[in-house]
Amino acid sequence: MAPGQVEMDALGQELAQVRFTKLYREQGRAILEYSLRRVEDPEDAADVVAETFLVAWRRLGEVPIGDGARLWLYGVARLVLANLARAERRRTRLGRRLAETLRTELTAQPAPQGEAAEVLRAIGLLGEEDRELLLLVTWEELSPSQAARVLGISALAARSRLHRARRRLRQALEERETEGGER
Amino acid sequence: MNAREMRRALAAADPVGRERLDGLDFEAMEADLLADVDGEREALEVEPARTRLVGRSRLALGIGVASVAALVVVFLILGGGSGEPTKAYNADLVRFAESTPLLLLEGPGWRVQDVTESRSREGTEGQMEFVTGKPIPYETLQITGNEAEGERVEGLAPAAVRQRRVELRWRPEAAESLAEVIANRREYIHPHGKHFVRLPVLDTTAFVDTRPEVFVNQGGPGDREMLALWSEAGYVLEMHAAVADLAGMEERLDWLTKVDSTTWLDAMPAKVVKAADHRAAVAGMLRGIPLPRTFAPSRVPDEGLTTNRYQVGANVAGTVACLWLRQWGEAQRTGDTAAAAEAVRAMATARHWPILREMSRDGAYPQVLWEIAAAMPQGYFGWDGHHRDLLAHAEGLGCARFGLPLVPAKMKHQRERGVPPPPD
Repeated sequence: MAPGQVEMDALGQELAQVRFTKLYREQGRAILEYSLRRVEDPEDAADVVAETFLVAWRRLGEVPIGDGARLWLYGVARLVLANLARAERRRTRLGRRLAETLRTELTAQPAPQGEAAEVLRAIGLLGEEDRELLLLVTWEELSPSQAARVLGISALAARSRLHRARRRLRQALEERETEGGER
Repeated sequence: MNAREMRRALAAADPVGRERLDGLDFEAMEADLLADVDGEREALEVEPARTRLVGRSRLALGIGVASVAALVVVFLILGGGSGEPTKAYNADLVRFAESTPLLLLEGPGWRVQDVTESRSREGTEGQMEFVTGKPIPYETLQITGNEAEGERVEGLAPAAVRQRRVELRWRPEAAESLAEVIANRREYIHPHGKHFVRLPVLDTTAFVDTRPEVFVNQGGPGDREMLALWSEAGYVLEMHAAVADLAGMEERLDWLTKVDSTTWLDAMPAKVVKAADHRAAVAGMLRGIPLPRTFAPSRVPDEGLTTNRYQVGANVAGTVACLWLRQWGEAQRTGDTAAAAEAVRAMATARHWPILREMSRDGAYPQVLWEIAAAMPQGYFGWDGHHRDLLAHAEGLGCARFGLPLVPAKMKHQRERGVPPPPD
């Protein structure tokens, strides 16, 4: 049994719940932002948040203390997102409530225009792992080594892939600019 | 496009406008999240903490409980035999030992100084005091200052003395769950900021408040008050200790050991009244007290709990006083001056009741009783210039709890609940 699991077994249920609630309060928004950036429908993001925290509850003993918790949750949310399309959808209470809140509280986001649309399109051309690395560093504001922990790769590999991702993105954008200029 | 331009373009393409999320109330959604978690709880139930029973298994203990009464009889007939006396406690003692969490602080040179328990609506709550070295009396503290500027406490024993004592308290979880207790602790403020850690205790993890004091002049290098909280077997447990540092707290938590009832009872000091001695203790405490006709020793509540002499004494003196006060109240209502005078005369001797004089060293129950006795001739209790109903005031002695309510409203309530009236 992993040390984290042993610790979890020993942890009182209430203590676990206190810790879990704190985790949600501190990281809920970060996970929602992460999810919103990676799905088209905000309601999907609501499900990702709910499912991510259910996983966190089941594996609370493995959740690192401190800032590592956010990285751990990003890693879970990433897998939850990957499963979103193929998994049988189940709507939890939090998922329902959050989806409803997002529907009522968030005004419809206008479709990205101009340069933003170009950047998003160029990002979409990157490989999955390179893209994720770039987004974690840019939108989630992680350091390359933190992003490496989320993806489960070495910091060295992360730096080199990040460099490659940026180069490819720049090329894609510059090509687009050139095409635009020629038109 | 240089690196800076690209970073700016990437940031500008972030589809999440953070200010749009500022209005979302994540805390409001906590209940839904916890309900989801509840739905999963069955699969997530953590294993109950394993208890380490010293010397025998739970099963053997269960059989032991059933047979101790027989053992006691054999022990008495044989006069205890020769050599080391056989340790056998009667079933009542075992039962009330088991009403506690059966914990001992097994540090080198540490012993139990006192144990008290009481029964509340939700279950049994109690506390144990462990000390090392000379006995430690309770401090008489004086608190000055106000909440805004920070309260100061005077009269604390020196750190060297306070660090020789550990208090263990337990309360039924039904009264307040661990999560609620912890949430409350988080609400407190401390002049140096709150600080919490987790430390292992028994087979679980304790939530430790390293700054639980409310007074501004508490603690400092080499002298810290700490509070550990955890739950076990339906109890919320608290361990309070003054320690030199966190390692000292960790050490004390490590000393806590789950034991069987025999080991636990063996560790009890003589001053803790054991249930087997309850009758003898009550008889001894009644010496020097004038008793009303309605009194019988069986009227003194035997809560079957580990109680110290102070608590048994309060039950004994309180029962007698309540019976005299009932006689006085009835006499006032019917105009029986002789019966009223008899009660006043009897209560006037309360100043000399040996048990109250003994108790007055440890608490205020005797003082309260003496004030009530002194007010009986005038027929009311003087309170800040007001004349307060004496019987209503005297209910504070615990008369209704003893089954001897003094005021007609409480008597009526007792009748309505179908409780047999006391023999007036």
